[in-house]
Amino acid sequence: MRTAHPFRLFLVTILVAILAGLSSGARAQTVSEIVPTMADTNLRGLAAAVEALAATGEPQAVAVLEALGAGNLYETADGGIYIRAGSGPIRDAATGETAEGVAPGDLKLIRINNSLRRDIRAAIGNLTLLSDDANVRLRAAREMFGTADPANIELLDEALAEETNPSVRTVMEQARAAAILKTDVSEEEFAAAVAVIAARGDRQALGILNSNLANASEIERVNIEAGIARINQALALQGIGQNVWYGISLGSVLLLAAIGLAITFGVMGVINMAHGEMVMIGAYVTFVVQEIIRTTNPGLFDYSLAIAVPAAFLITGLIGVGIERGIIRWLYGRPLETLLATWGLSLVIQQGVRTIFGATNRDVGNPSYMSGAFEFFGIALTWNRFWIVIFALVVFALLLLVLNKTPLGLQMRAVTQNRRMASAMGIRTPWIDAMTFGLGSGVAGLAGVALSQIDNVSPNLGQGYIIDSFMVVVFGGVGNLWGTLVGAMTLGIANKFLEPYAGAVLAKIVILVLIILFIQRRPRGLFALKGRAVEQ
Amino acid sequence: MITAAILRALDKKAIWVISILLLAAILVPLSNLMLPVGHPLRVPNYLVPLMGKYLSYAMLALALDLIWGYCGILSLGHGAFFALGGYAMGVYLMRQIGTRGVYAHPELPDFMVFLGWPELPWYWLGMDQFWFAAIMVMLVPGILAFVFGWFAFRSRVTGVYLSIITQAMTFALMLAFFRNDMGFGGNNGLTDFRDILGTPIAAPTTRAILFAATAIALALSFLVCSMIVKSKLGKVMVAVRDAESRTRFIGYRVENVKLLAFTVSAVIAGIAGALYVPQVGIINPGEFAPANSIEVVIWAAVGGRGTLIGPIIGAIIVNVGKSYFTAALPDFWLFALGGLFIFVTLFLPKGVVGLFTSVWNAIQARRASSSAQKGVGPAPGPETDFPITTESDAGNAQPKTNPAE
Amino acid sequence: MVDTLRTDSLLYLDGVTVSFDGFRALNSLSLIVQRNELQAIIGPNGAGKTTMMDIITGKTKPDTGEVYFEGSVDLTKKDETEIANMGIGRKFQKPTVFESHTVWDNVELALKKPRGVFSGLFYTRDTADTDRIAEILDIVRLTHRKNEYAANLSHGQKQWLEIGMLLAQDPKLMLVDEPVAGMTDAETIETSKLLADIAKTRSVVVVEHDMSFVRDLDCRVTCLAEGAVLAQGSLEHVSADPLVIERYLGR
Repeated sequence: MRTAHPFRLFLVTILVAILAGLSSGARAQTVSEIVPTMADTNLRGLAAAVEALAATGEPQAVAVLEALGAGNLYETADGGIYIRAGSGPIRDAATGETAEGVAPGDLKLIRINNSLRRDIRAAIGNLTLLSDDANVRLRAAREMFGTADPANIELLDEALAEETNPSVRTVMEQARAAAILKTDVSEEEFAAAVAVIAARGDRQALGILNSNLANASEIERVNIEAGIARINQALALQGIGQNVWYGISLGSVLLLAAIGLAITFGVMGVINMAHGEMVMIGAYVTFVVQEIIRTTNPGLFDYSLAIAVPAAFLITGLIGVGIERGIIRWLYGRPLETLLATWGLSLVIQQGVRTIFGATNRDVGNPSYMSGAFEFFGIALTWNRFWIVIFALVVFALLLLVLNKTPLGLQMRAVTQNRRMASAMGIRTPWIDAMTFGLGSGVAGLAGVALSQIDNVSPNLGQGYIIDSFMVVVFGGVGNLWGTLVGAMTLGIANKFLEPYAGAVLAKIVILVLIILFIQRRPRGLFALKGRAVEQ
Repeated sequence: MITAAILRALDKKAIWVISILLLAAILVPLSNLMLPVGHPLRVPNYLVPLMGKYLSYAMLALALDLIWGYCGILSLGHGAFFALGGYAMGVYLMRQIGTRGVYAHPELPDFMVFLGWPELPWYWLGMDQFWFAAIMVMLVPGILAFVFGWFAFRSRVTGVYLSIITQAMTFALMLAFFRNDMGFGGNNGLTDFRDILGTPIAAPTTRAILFAATAIALALSFLVCSMIVKSKLGKVMVAVRDAESRTRFIGYRVENVKLLAFTVSAVIAGIAGALYVPQVGIINPGEFAPANSIEVVIWAAVGGRGTLIGPIIGAIIVNVGKSYFTAALPDFWLFALGGLFIFVTLFLPKGVVGLFTSVWNAIQARRASSSAQKGVGPAPGPETDFPITTESDAGNAQPKTNPAE
Repeated sequence: MVDTLRTDSLLYLDGVTVSFDGFRALNSLSLIVQRNELQAIIGPNGAGKTTMMDIITGKTKPDTGEVYFEGSVDLTKKDETEIANMGIGRKFQKPTVFESHTVWDNVELALKKPRGVFSGLFYTRDTADTDRIAEILDIVRLTHRKNEYAANLSHGQKQWLEIGMLLAQDPKLMLVDEPVAGMTDAETIETSKLLADIAKTRSVVVVEHDMSFVRDLDCRVTCLAEGAVLAQGSLEHVSADPLVIERYLGR
């Protein structure tokens, strides 16, 4: 499955949907009608059954035909037809279900000859490679790629002649190439086949090339090895892609957690150690929203996040305003004291949540669009991570907009640059402070909604992110949202690239040590401003 | 020269503090060991290590205040130095277990046998000797502080930035010590100690001696800190705290001043940790938790930063409270601790000692004004050593920069 | 020629340029301070006066240009502490004294003594030091407040204390940034006398806006604008310069 091209998959899915609608019409005979005729009959009878099976177009027909061709089809004295591969379970040929109460000793092999074998192959080809259903053709081609049986070459050629769907065609060509490697062909043809397989660039292709390496001639070996090198390169690239994605995913989580902090720390110069607790409250808001929906209107569950996002923003934002008015404003100009007071506050909030909701993890559900995974150029992506990346970027863009394009943002920047002058110009600086802090806290609440989808919702949720968030802000440079973005992504990606070599814990330690060293080289972060203004 | 420095350190207050500590070092063990059980003046067995624990915490708070209260360096990672000292002592104690472990291995502690380690890692070698372990107790935190400080202070990392990277430092160490490969018992840390210096660690006599040792160590630390603070170097430290760049323009090497204070402080914290471990019987990576280090800050703040007595008083008050609350009202403790942080920073910036001093000054002033009418005028000198001026954190103020650029 | 200019001078700036995020604070500034010279620097806000002091004292590094002290010491390679210990003292625009120290301790900290950590730990004041501190406090008229915290001084007194601390440092070059801001007229006159007195034994560079104070100093005047020297000479000469009038003094 992992080899699917997403676009191809998409097309195929649509085609299947259409064809399923078209082909639901009637057929003369079904598999379950044909299979009984195969009992106690001669080769001619079998040939007729094969032909009839080929006409059904049902998947089970393929299974029966394959079993017949491979010598896995048995009959019993009472006229039952069964499939049994080796010493595997005995299955009813008509349905494909495991047959109960049939002793292996009762089974009698249905014998065929070479001419029938050819018919069977052609029939299978008709059913699969030449099926009207592109999805079936694709599956058949993939299967043939896996078996790489030279006997299929003819069929594949036939199918290729008619195939118009480009993605199915590619797989057929690959299947043909895989089969060709096992036959005696000219050097050019062999090289061409290797090239086709190498172009696939996945582990299956690697496996096929490797399996052909053993009995290849000298020249062929060179060809194959070049192909293997190409595939390994492609795989390495894919691995990097996967790591980058994991890194971006982690980075977007860090970005969400840190960006509110970047505002309060960067714009106001205030260290908010209770920031993680705002995130935690946001997650609990999601939990409460979902609980209410579950009890009152379960049908709305898919909209729970859409409700939780504004709710969390408002609630944590209001709490933030409360904190600013109640505590922070008394401590301006004393960043270290602010740090201590907000730390105390974080303890109180944690214990408060623990008292109300209990110390255990609360279960926050994923709406349907947040569950599952999809594949993108061979990289596995889960939907919840994907949406969180999008969400983080949207929040980031909105914040940039708020800071740069709204009157509030303008006033915030004015207060940041020259509090006294801003005040003299009629800006209500205390109000701006409260709004800034509220905004930062509200964004933390948004982060909480997102994190509730991928992390345990417990009173300690925020603590796990606070140090990382600080690292992001400090690394990116204070007072610069772009710095926060770059910081979060860099740390996320660096972390994920180190993990395979060092393990998760050691990777984290290495990152922390690197940041400590980095801060000492650039005490004001990556995107620090220079000049006299900074010092004053 | 040194005598002069010691004499300068021993002002009236210092003599009081040191005398009380030395007296405790004698009287508590005597009362515990000599008086019969049930005697009203006897210090019960369970209380001796508990008090010893409080005093080791007091040492840690004192160490922290030396750099925070006097030099303006708010370390949120001082628990790391404490824990490293503790681990050094823990390694020594582990090596005293000998064959009495579960696996009865003559050399390897149980957890190494369990993990299938063939031999002791190199950093466990020599730690069976007390003198060597004692040196390590000071050297390991000292070197870490020196290296860390050398980088940080030279690059002029100050204020909240420094606080945050010290926090990151202890966090990284915590993660590291949680790993089994680190060779310090991973999650479980080091415990099940048997002997210290050949005597059983849980025996009342050993406990009493450990308490006495902690009290004496605290007294000596107090003397050392007092020496530093009362010297011209101490004045330079306060100058650095209040106006770092001005100090630099006068020609002082600010980074060296900070580095010395930071290293001395870390060594004291390490000794405190080493005394703490045998009295509580365990050391694990939880000691590195950033939350622990921040708690130390609040001990110093409650007592009164910028004084040497304050952190000692604060550590004892808060920890006695903690012992009481976590037993009586466990859910309430975090509310109380959190509330304490907020209350102290908002309403009691100079701590209990500051409160006491201003009350005392008010009484003195009233007495002075009444005696002035009688014609006797004592000069009311400043009572706190170096007042914390709340507006003067200018050196720590964050650069306020434009987010939009 | 240039070499003798440099070697004869106490402070030599040539072609010093520094920019902050694209803004040129100093634009190829060249300036010479002779030994035992009193020089006043005037100029509009943003002319680069404080940045120039930052460059000289090592707080800011120039992008390009030469800064030499005593003809041979390259100041761009030194940091604040080294420069201070070589004998360049600086008084800030906003008076910065150690507010939680007494007036006496402020001067004692500034007193020219070994600055090492351990010499600080074991320092004991001798009578010579005591006398010198008392003398300096006398000069800056703060003897009567010597036991008070510097935080309790008035703005003008803080300025004087800072000058006193500069004196205690015994520098070869004193950079004084707006010394008379917040002073009464009488204090201003006292200050100009004091600075002129100090300049007999060392070089003093004074940055000031107060033109009557600059007139009282009666020394060579340099006018800076937009990070470069606009005019130089006696106050009459400079204030008659049409460029100076246009950019700074106004008509």
